[in-house]
Amino acid sequence: TGRRDDTGVGKSSIVCRFVQDHFDHNISPTIGASFMTKTVPCGNELHKFLIWDTAGQERFHSLAPMYYRGSAAAVIVYDITKQDSFHTLKKWVKELKEHGPENIVMAIAGNKCDLSDIREVPMKDAKEYAESIGAIVVETSAKNAVNIEELFQGISRQIPPLDPHENGNNGAIKLGKQTAQTGRRCC
Amino acid sequence: PCHLFLKEPHDQKGKENFKLLLLLNDRFQALWNFTEENYRMLKQKCNLGNIFLNLESCSEAWKHHKTVLKQFFTDFTSESSMSLALYTVLHKPIRDHVERHVLLLTELNEALKEDPEKELVTSVIKEYVKLESFISQVLDEACFTKALWKSLGYKFTDVLCVPERRLLEDSRNLPISASTNRSDRILLFDDVLVLIQKEMFSWSLSCSLLPRHVLRIVTPEETFFLSAKDPQMKAVWQWKLNQAIRQALNGKRDFPLWGKTGEGTEPPSCRFFSYVFKLEGKFKSATYEGEWHWGKPHGKGTLKWPDGRNHVGDFKEGLEHGFGICLVPRRSEDRYDCYKCHWSQGKMRGYGICEYGNEMVYKGYFKDDMRQGFGILESTAADRPFKYTGQWENDKKNGYGVWDDKNRGERYIGTWQDDHKHGQGIVVTQSGVCYQRTFHAGKMVGSGILLLEDDSVYEGNFTEDLTFVGKGKLSFANGFILEGTFTNKSGQGLQTQGILNTSNEQLDDRITKVQLGLAEFPVEKRWKGIYDQFLEFIQSGCKEETEESFTGFHIQTSKELRKSQEYLFCQRGAEDASWKTEDILEELVKHQELASLHCYLDKALKSSLHPLGKLLKALMIAFQAAYSGIGANRHLLTMAQEEVKYYAKKIWEFYQGLLCLALEQKGQLPTNDQKACSIVLPLILPCFYPELFMLYMLYHEREDDLYCQGIVDLSLFPDIKLLEFLDVQKGTNNYRGHKGLRKAKQEMSLMVLKYVILSPFQRRSLIKDKCFLSATECLQKLITTVDPREKLVILQKTYEEIESTVSRVVEKDYKLPMDDLLPLLMYVVSRAKIQHLGAEIHLIRDLMDPTNQGGLYDFLLTALESCYEHIQRMRLHQRENCHGTHSP
Ligand SMILES: Nc1nc2c(ncn2[C@@H]2O[C@H](COP(=O)(O)OP(=O)(O)O)[C@@H](O)[C@H]2O)c(=O)[nH]1
Ligand SMILES: [Mg+2]
Repeated sequence: TGRRDDTGVGKSSIVCRFVQDHFDHNISPTIGASFMTKTVPCGNELHKFLIWDTAGQERFHSLAPMYYRGSAAAVIVYDITKQDSFHTLKKWVKELKEHGPENIVMAIAGNKCDLSDIREVPMKDAKEYAESIGAIVVETSAKNAVNIEELFQGISRQIPPLDPHENGNNGAIKLGKQTAQTGRRCC
Repeated sequence: PCHLFLKEPHDQKGKENFKLLLLLNDRFQALWNFTEENYRMLKQKCNLGNIFLNLESCSEAWKHHKTVLKQFFTDFTSESSMSLALYTVLHKPIRDHVERHVLLLTELNEALKEDPEKELVTSVIKEYVKLESFISQVLDEACFTKALWKSLGYKFTDVLCVPERRLLEDSRNLPISASTNRSDRILLFDDVLVLIQKEMFSWSLSCSLLPRHVLRIVTPEETFFLSAKDPQMKAVWQWKLNQAIRQALNGKRDFPLWGKTGEGTEPPSCRFFSYVFKLEGKFKSATYEGEWHWGKPHGKGTLKWPDGRNHVGDFKEGLEHGFGICLVPRRSEDRYDCYKCHWSQGKMRGYGICEYGNEMVYKGYFKDDMRQGFGILESTAADRPFKYTGQWENDKKNGYGVWDDKNRGERYIGTWQDDHKHGQGIVVTQSGVCYQRTFHAGKMVGSGILLLEDDSVYEGNFTEDLTFVGKGKLSFANGFILEGTFTNKSGQGLQTQGILNTSNEQLDDRITKVQLGLAEFPVEKRWKGIYDQFLEFIQSGCKEETEESFTGFHIQTSKELRKSQEYLFCQRGAEDASWKTEDILEELVKHQELASLHCYLDKALKSSLHPLGKLLKALMIAFQAAYSGIGANRHLLTMAQEEVKYYAKKIWEFYQGLLCLALEQKGQLPTNDQKACSIVLPLILPCFYPELFMLYMLYHEREDDLYCQGIVDLSLFPDIKLLEFLDVQKGTNNYRGHKGLRKAKQEMSLMVLKYVILSPFQRRSLIKDKCFLSATECLQKLITTVDPREKLVILQKTYEEIESTVSRVVEKDYKLPMDDLLPLLMYVVSRAKIQHLGAEIHLIRDLMDPTNQGGLYDFLLTALESCYEHIQRMRLHQRENCHGTHSP
């Protein structure tokens, strides 16, 4: 009955910005803001992101494994203005390492970098931590569209090409989007 | 000649003549009948002396010809010799009459002037002259033959002398000899060719053949050569032999003898006759009646052995080839083994059914007269009923197979060697207990794993009646583990010395739900025999005539097959013509585009005549053999599930194989399009669904129970309370805490339900709407479908229903974010009360098109699964709480 409202780091906002280049994530074409897709070029391939957003309620935390199983990547988001959210992020990383898919690509997004004047988490901490776990790290602002493309490009580059015979997925990648902030990150 | 008199002339004289001619004809006819009758009667009587005494009483015909009869008696009063008497009664009248007719006709001919009539009479005269010469020829032949019987030793005449037989040619007359020995004598009769060397050989003419230019005689069991001194002589012999054979085949002599020349005289190489094999070999003493080609059984025929064995069916070049039915008497009993099978070059090969005399039935493949490949052996014998479904080699159970012991109520799934359980095997029992262990020549060896009904697991050695012996480890469902040495002395029950470890938590699912057989029986190695046959069929180019032997009988239903023997005898070959192999290939090419391919495959898979339909049927039989009835055991779920997917893969492969072949035959290049492979699984799934879903239900039994209890708990809440309980509206409270942000958020998230405060009116309208009734009803349809894709569509519709209900209530177009989706979905799930939701979810996930992974459907399914899990957790939580209040 861990910590309360973990929402608000900007997971949904990041997805929305990435997919629709909107900040208001309530004008979404598909299943609410929870499931979105976007195809981006990477080198001479096209990568299709299938992005699963997660529910915010803490009691669904226990259901998280359902959401990250089978994911190729997880985006774990924290709020640079909230030290707490960075702690929660570490917990999520640990859980993913232990129970997540073996070769999952992890990307850490320090969101709300537009609010760096009230920053609580130094960039350096995040960088060091990311390095220690071999994750991509980038500071983003969903609001001002900073580094959002870069975040997903970075993931794109790290995803190994799929064996086209494997399941006819045509290089589609299931992407987990993870919020670092408090409780839940699911993919 | 009567047809000559059919045209009636008009003038007086002509009419007169015509009357005379008619009279002549009548008389001749009467005479002919009379002589023929006479002859027949004489033939019937061995004792010639009696004939004349009995004449009056035996013949109706004679009464009809009283005048002729009188004549005979007057002529026969004298004591003349028998031959003379016979000559008088049989030969002279006809000869005289014919002679008189000729005279009469000649006179008539002279009297006639007009051309057409004259021509007619001339031709009639010709016929009569022919008749005259025929009569003398026949007589000559008879004399010639009679002389032969006199000159030939009785050793030969005993065998050869038959009243009807006539000598046509003699090598003493027209020299010819069998190549080896100059002193041969060769006799050509009207029905046999006789070669007298030191011993005598004779060949039925109707079985003999004569290639042009070579005097080679082909008979069913022997071929030999006749050599003549010079080409002319050879030519004469050849001609005479051919004529004799042709006439023997026609069953009547030419008129006049040797009269037909020129075209069409060559006897046919294909014939129908009956022959008894004499030479050593499989056919010795057997009688073959049927079609022949070049001296060999070829076509349809029947072989009968003196011991009662017989074979009815197709032959080719002297051997059984094609479909046949063979009855083999059993040694001791008065019973038969009946094989309905395909033969190839004299040996059973391909699909067949054998009904053994000992109440066993085998349905499956044969090779070289032995059971080989996939096959089912079933015994209905009262003392030991069983059924084996699996692989055969060298007439024995070898390889992967399933054995049902009907008395013990047990099923063995595993490998076999020489009719014994050998290697790894799984045994499932009626009580739900199952174990896996190693077998050696039918005996259990080493230790195994025994999975008990109450979720406890024993690892170690145990006997067939499931008594623990020796060292073992027993893990109880509650986590207690007993490790020790077990003994079972009679009368003392089970005893053990060991350590009981009570420190563990509840047993892990990985132990209680362990899946058997995955490593031991990789899915590619199961039912290989079924696939092999189809592969061979495709590789051999899908020849029409081999289709049935490769893919099983053409039958509508297995019930019809049970209707049995008669069916196969009479109805075979009368199949629906639209499934001829060439048509099938033709059709395949036409239906490559996805939608029509879907239709085509659906139709093909449902047809019991299409190769793919037959393949599916065989796979259904195999699947049911393993997983239906006793086989419904949760430890077999993964095996079964993998298998169904593999079936789909193989069927797709075979479809591709057929298509490639069809395209090749059309000279087109096959396009390598793998995209459509996922269309097969939904098409075949209904065939395996009952067994498969049963396994899913068993596997998820406990979770489904828990979830059902959870639903019962939730059903106690009124709708609106439930919605609140599930937190749909809770967010509002939290939100109120952040007043400062309220405005901004409202702009941004006004439509998010958790930020919407429903008015009492709106709440009521939710209830009045029966709160997502449409969504609930939609979700309930899940259980009415089989195809995972359809189930996913239902799920999506449910979601849309939820969304549209919310939109209606808030009177705005509304998109549900996950944060709200889950509670609402939870509500709908709890109201839909789908009993085996866990089984449904996992079946969908396992069998859905893998391209859905990570996609919207997967996402929705995961949301559903979240609800399912969450309801269970709520229930567990509640149970713990209850427990907590009860315990001190
Ligand atoms: N200033 C600023 N605010 C942001 C940014 N991203 C999100 N937000 C705000 O943070 C709040 C929570 O965002 P949301 O995407 O719903 O977070 P989630 O719960 O993690 O999905 C919203 O009010 C957003 O407007 C950002 O980059 N900068
Ligand atoms: Mg969100």
